[in-house]
Amino acid sequence: MSSETALIKAAKRGSVTAFTELVEGYRDGLLRFLVTRTLSFADAEDALQDSLINAYRYMHSYDSKWRFSTWLYRIAINNAAKLRSVETVEIGDLSDEESGPLEQCIAASDRENLWLSARRVLKDEVYTAMWLRYVEDMSVADISAVLERSVSWTKINLLRGRHKLDAELKRDTGSNKGEAYG
Amino acid sequence: MKPMDKLANQLREDASKIDVAISPELDDRIRASLHGVKQDVEQSSGESRTASFWWGSSLTGVATVMAIVAIVNLNGAEPEIAVTEPPIQAFTVPQFTWKPKPALLTQSLEQELADIQSDLKKAERAVREDLDEIL
Repeated sequence: MSSETALIKAAKRGSVTAFTELVEGYRDGLLRFLVTRTLSFADAEDALQDSLINAYRYMHSYDSKWRFSTWLYRIAINNAAKLRSVETVEIGDLSDEESGPLEQCIAASDRENLWLSARRVLKDEVYTAMWLRYVEDMSVADISAVLERSVSWTKINLLRGRHKLDAELKRDTGSNKGEAYG
Repeated sequence: MKPMDKLANQLREDASKIDVAISPELDDRIRASLHGVKQDVEQSSGESRTASFWWGSSLTGVATVMAIVAIVNLNGAEPEIAVTEPPIQAFTVPQFTWKPKPALLTQSLEQELADIQSDLKKAERAVREDLDEIL
C-alpha cells in the first residue's frame, strides 16, 4: 500500500495530521496556480485555505478512481471560480493590472513570462488546461475530468492554446531580435 | 528539438519563475481551520448519534407496548360471531379504447437531430484522427 493511499484512508477517518501530510506536496503548486487566477495574493491564499478546508470536509466522498491531485484541483478551480464570481472579474481583465499577484511573483526578465501572455490571449478554461498539462503534468483524461469536459474538447483546446502561445513566443522573440539588430 | 517541445519546456520554466511560498501565518491559519472543521464534524456526528439513540429507544418502547397489547388481546379473545354481510357489487372500470398514433409533428425534428448527431460524430472522428497524428 502506498503512503498516499494510507494517508487518504486515515484522512477519510478524520485525521487532520494525515490530511495535512497528504496535501503537503500539493500546497505550493496549488497556491502558484491560484495566484494566476485571482486579483490579489491575499485572495489566492484565501482560495487555497478554502480549498483545503473543503477537501478535508468532503474527504469522505473522495473516490479513489480519481487521482488525488485531480480531485484537489477540481475543488481549487471551483473555489477560484466562486471568488471570481463574487468579484465579477474575468481572467482576461486581470492582464490590464500592472501589479497583479502574478506580476508581483515573477522576477524581472528580458521577455514576458509565457503565463502572463497566456492569461492575456487564452480563455479561462484553456488557460487552466494548459497549466494542468504543462505544469502539473496531468494526462488529457485527468484534465478533462478536472474541467468536466470531453477528452476531445481538451485535446482540441490544448492544441489551440499551444498554437496561440507559440505565436506569442515567436512574436516576443522576433520583437527582441528586432530591438537587438535594429 | 521540436518547436512544440520547446514551448512545453518554456511553459514549465516560466511557471517555476512564479515565486510563491506558503507563509507560516497562512500555514497556521490552515491548520487552525482544519482543527475547527474537525471539531464541527465530530460535534455534528455526536449530535446525530444522540438523535439516533433517542429514536432507537422510542421505537423499542413502542414495539414493546404493541407486543404487550397483542398478547393481552390474544389471551382474552372471545369466540367470533359469524356475521354475513351482503355481497359487495363488483366495481366495473369503464373500458377505454386507446389508439396510439406516431408523433407526426416531432418526426422531422427527430430526423434533423439524428442528422446533426451524425455530422457531429463524423466531425469528431476527423478531429480525433488529426489530433492523433499531431499529439
